[in-house]
Amino acid sequence: PCTRQVRGYYVDWRMLRDVKRRKLAYEYADQRLRINAIRKNTILPKELQEVADKEITELPRDSCPVRIRNRCVLTSRPRGVKRRWRLSRIVFRHFADHAQMSGVQRSMW
Amino acid sequence: EKDEPATSKESTTQMTAKSQEDAAEKPKQKLLDIIGNMKVEVSYRKKLQQLKTREIKKQAPDELDSEGAVPQRTAEGIQRSRGKPLNPELVEAASAVASSLPLDKKQTESELLAQLRRHEETTDKQKKGGTVNLRNMIAEMAVKRQTPAQRGVRISNRISLELDEDGQQIKLERVNTRRSLKVGRRLNIFTKASTETEMALKTVSPPTIWDLEFAKELAAVTAQPPRNGFEEMIQWTKEGIMWEFPIDNEAGMEEDAEFHEHIFLEKHLEDFPKQGPIRHFMELVICGLSKNPYLTVRQKIEHIEWFQKYFEEKKEFLQGI
Repeated sequence: PCTRQVRGYYVDWRMLRDVKRRKLAYEYADQRLRINAIRKNTILPKELQEVADKEITELPRDSCPVRIRNRCVLTSRPRGVKRRWRLSRIVFRHFADHAQMSGVQRSMW
Repeated sequence: EKDEPATSKESTTQMTAKSQEDAAEKPKQKLLDIIGNMKVEVSYRKKLQQLKTREIKKQAPDELDSEGAVPQRTAEGIQRSRGKPLNPELVEAASAVASSLPLDKKQTESELLAQLRRHEETTDKQKKGGTVNLRNMIAEMAVKRQTPAQRGVRISNRISLELDEDGQQIKLERVNTRRSLKVGRRLNIFTKASTETEMALKTVSPPTIWDLEFAKELAAVTAQPPRNGFEEMIQWTKEGIMWEFPIDNEAGMEEDAEFHEHIFLEKHLEDFPKQGPIRHFMELVICGLSKNPYLTVRQKIEHIEWFQKYFEEKKEFLQGI
């Protein structure tokens, strides 16, 4: 947790928050996996599973991977992002037309 | 001036090569032999002279019937010149040779004259000893029988040009050459460098920041851009961008742990109770971990230890159930 001013070259604050969520999710990934293994169980007693439920809610909210949004890397657009290139459709089209995307061609058939 | 005496000598030797019985020719021939034996000269003229002396030597035994005539005649020549300390012609010739060489004149002259004197001494000894010296030499040779065999081994190793099988032999060769390097007189060409102070400095201080910076600068300057595709591929392979061929399927995998450490994880379950749902749960965990190829052994052990700690903390709670 950074207490000083955050200065960087991310496109906007939403992108920065997304970056923070990714970092936290990486840190708590193992722990969440183990607690979830106890929760999603039929063998262990239910009381133990309820305790595990409470424990997982005590973890920071940004540590869950569900909150991560695959934004465009260049424009931080949340929608219309192709996963392979991590770019939004507009940026992708721009680069592809200028022949700066390797192996990408206008299709016609 | 420098060229004339040498050329005149050469011409005279060529003229008088056939007439071996000429007395004046012997000291000159002896001088030429000495020049041929000299190890100091480097120039092409000396090599020519050497070739000519060898030709003359070859011609001499052809014309004369006896092989021993030449050393006898040189010995006679020496006997005649022994009355004086050194033949003045030889001294003149030595000075001419010294002047012709590009090195220090006085030093080369003195060296040539010393060589002449040594030659005289050796020929005197030969004349006196005769066969006795040869017998001694052979007796000495008999004691040191290993050296020619070693030399033969070395020559055969060089000729064979095999590295994998004869790695040991080549190492022996190197050891022998090291021994032979230190044997013999010192030439006193190089001065002893003081290595002790350097070693002390190196051991005292680890590489400073300036050293690291200098090393980085050197690397940046010497790293030229690749001239062709091959050098580019080499650079990429070094960086890790390009794989190494033939492809190693296990490149990048951990090399420490064997397969049994990944699969047989029951030994980590010793601290758990042997009956009950926890044991059942942990056995399922172990089954899942053993099938996971992406984790290292260390990570798997950490998972199991975390569960152990968790159940330890919840023991009181569990006993209440």
